[in-house]
Amino acid sequence: MSESVARSLSRSRLPEAGGRGHGRAGVEQTAATPDPAPTAPPDRRAARRLAAVIALVGLVITVLCAWAAARVDHNAERRLLQGQTKQAAAVLSSAIVGIQAPLGTALSVQRAVRPSDDPRAFDDLMAAYVGPDKLFVSAALWQRRGSDLVRLTSVGLPAAMDPAASATRTYLGKAFDVATVTVRSVTVGSGSRIAYARADTSTDLVVYAERAVPANRRAPVDRDSAFADLHYAIYLGPEVRQAALSTTDVAPASLPLGGNTDRVQVPFGDTVLTLVTTPRHHLGATLSRWLSLLLLVGGLVLTAVAARTGYHLVAGRQDAQQDAATIAGLYQQVGTLYEEQREPYERLQRALLPHVIPTLPHLEIASEYVAGARGVDIGGDWYSIIALAGDTFGFVVGDVSGRGVDAVAVMAHVRFTLRAYLIEGHSPSAALEMCSHQFDITTDGHMTTALVGVGDHRTGEVTLANAGHPRPLLVADGAARFLDTRVGPPLGTGPAPYPSTTVTLPPGALLFCYTDGLVERRTEDIDTGMDRLRTTVEQAHQQGTPVQDLVEHTLGALRNDTAPDDIAVLAFRWGGVA
Amino acid sequence: MAEFVTASLGETARVLVVSGEVDVASADDLLPAAEPCLVSGASELRVDLGAVTFIDSSGLGALVQLRNAAARHDQQVVLENVPASVRRLLEITGLTEILPTRSDG
Repeated sequence: MSESVARSLSRSRLPEAGGRGHGRAGVEQTAATPDPAPTAPPDRRAARRLAAVIALVGLVITVLCAWAAARVDHNAERRLLQGQTKQAAAVLSSAIVGIQAPLGTALSVQRAVRPSDDPRAFDDLMAAYVGPDKLFVSAALWQRRGSDLVRLTSVGLPAAMDPAASATRTYLGKAFDVATVTVRSVTVGSGSRIAYARADTSTDLVVYAERAVPANRRAPVDRDSAFADLHYAIYLGPEVRQAALSTTDVAPASLPLGGNTDRVQVPFGDTVLTLVTTPRHHLGATLSRWLSLLLLVGGLVLTAVAARTGYHLVAGRQDAQQDAATIAGLYQQVGTLYEEQREPYERLQRALLPHVIPTLPHLEIASEYVAGARGVDIGGDWYSIIALAGDTFGFVVGDVSGRGVDAVAVMAHVRFTLRAYLIEGHSPSAALEMCSHQFDITTDGHMTTALVGVGDHRTGEVTLANAGHPRPLLVADGAARFLDTRVGPPLGTGPAPYPSTTVTLPPGALLFCYTDGLVERRTEDIDTGMDRLRTTVEQAHQQGTPVQDLVEHTLGALRNDTAPDDIAVLAFRWGGVA
Repeated sequence: MAEFVTASLGETARVLVVSGEVDVASADDLLPAAEPCLVSGASELRVDLGAVTFIDSSGLGALVQLRNAAARHDQQVVLENVPASVRRLLEITGLTEILPTRSDG
């Protein structure tokens, strides 16, 4: 049973716990009410706003840095490509000179021989330049005779330009109009050749040669280191078009070259070669190439970290503020609960005290109960006074050790048990002795001190028995003294006899019974408190103060406002029989 | 606040040294603190009250509970070095026979 209670208690702490009950609503309510009220989730808008601002600023800075680094790298690449392309163009230029030189040499040789149209010298000279894997595949020497052109000799393969065609003659005739080599592209089968012609107006001779474009379209010049870092395409003429393509190191179908390209024109006879280049790979330093990416990635990571940190800082501060508010709220709640909890206990305590003090002949009775200053738990002090059969009356002042509802329960138990015994006519000694069999500190956790008396309001005789309780104060004939009752152990410590003490009050005597809260202080001996009580009551009694006023005066004089212990007082003055 | 320290005095006796204020707030700690002494098998448990500055009815109740618990372990509880104020309280509450005090303590 206790286990199921514990389980239901722990369940009741969950806010969503649904089914409660089996008649323990009171207990569960007590356990459930200290739960903090469910608080709204903290508003994270401020944190999100800050994170967004940080992220935005971080992104802008990151993108700007990355863009700047990329620009720098791009410009460096352009400059490096331009430099490399210039070198490649220079190599190409010198190659062109090398190709054109034999043509000039041949004309010079013919000018020197007699007759100048003797073709044998030409044949001898060109034999070195014409043939497979040589500069030219075909060469011929022509002479202008009037308006006609006559081929004097030819070396190597048949010319791609038909010697009989008028177009050939028109082309060769044009060579006399320029001081340099004329160049054109000729297709032969699936391949192509470059045709060169150079004329000498002094001898009217024209040297004609054809050079094969390699089947793989690779230019022989690309073995030079100047081309090592470049992809290139060389076009005959100023225009970049597929038909004018001379050589390239990439698949012709993939042309024209894209991306970072440079273009330069190299003089080539009466026309130009257009060299288009693009870098094979990054030309500058590796760091320069990756710097923008590094900046981008690093910047994004830093931005994310900064935004996240900012968010958590703001959120953490919000949480701390909310926690503080929650804790303050909890304190307030606990304070309220404390008051709420204490209130019914105190009502219970007071409900257990006599509501109406009986009116007894010849007796002036007063009583007070004062709760302790602190703590939810209330003490177990009580008093009672009842009319008994005949001329007698019974009274009890008692104190249950410890605090709380348990102590009050024990108090109620002892109080009503003693009352019943007294009503049945038992003596104080017998009542206490019978009670001593019924209470055990080991099982109920409390022991009880009690002063029990039975008096005769006609004779003033009072019989007392004491279970560990502070001795009552008797004020008679102007002097106060503590009655030397014989003391038995407190109830709960085991069965014991309680010898009685009988005194006969003189008329006008006052018997003052109390609990230890009235005389006990932490900083002093209990006898000091008892002396103070004796003096205070004695003086008040001598002044003829009414008993109710005397009790209130004594409480006011002795009670410490901050004393934790509760106090019960019962006093009566016996007027005597007139 | 009260403090409870236990010590062994040979095989037959244990001592529980109590100090400070033994009141409603601290009295419940006395019995658990003495538990090792109770189960030790010693025949005597001496409770040294020399450093007790204050004791109330809850504290006295705790001593009675200790005495009852010790009795179940066939152990005799004896108070030692009892301050005058505590001795007076024992007299007032009629506990001198239930909680015997070592006269030479």
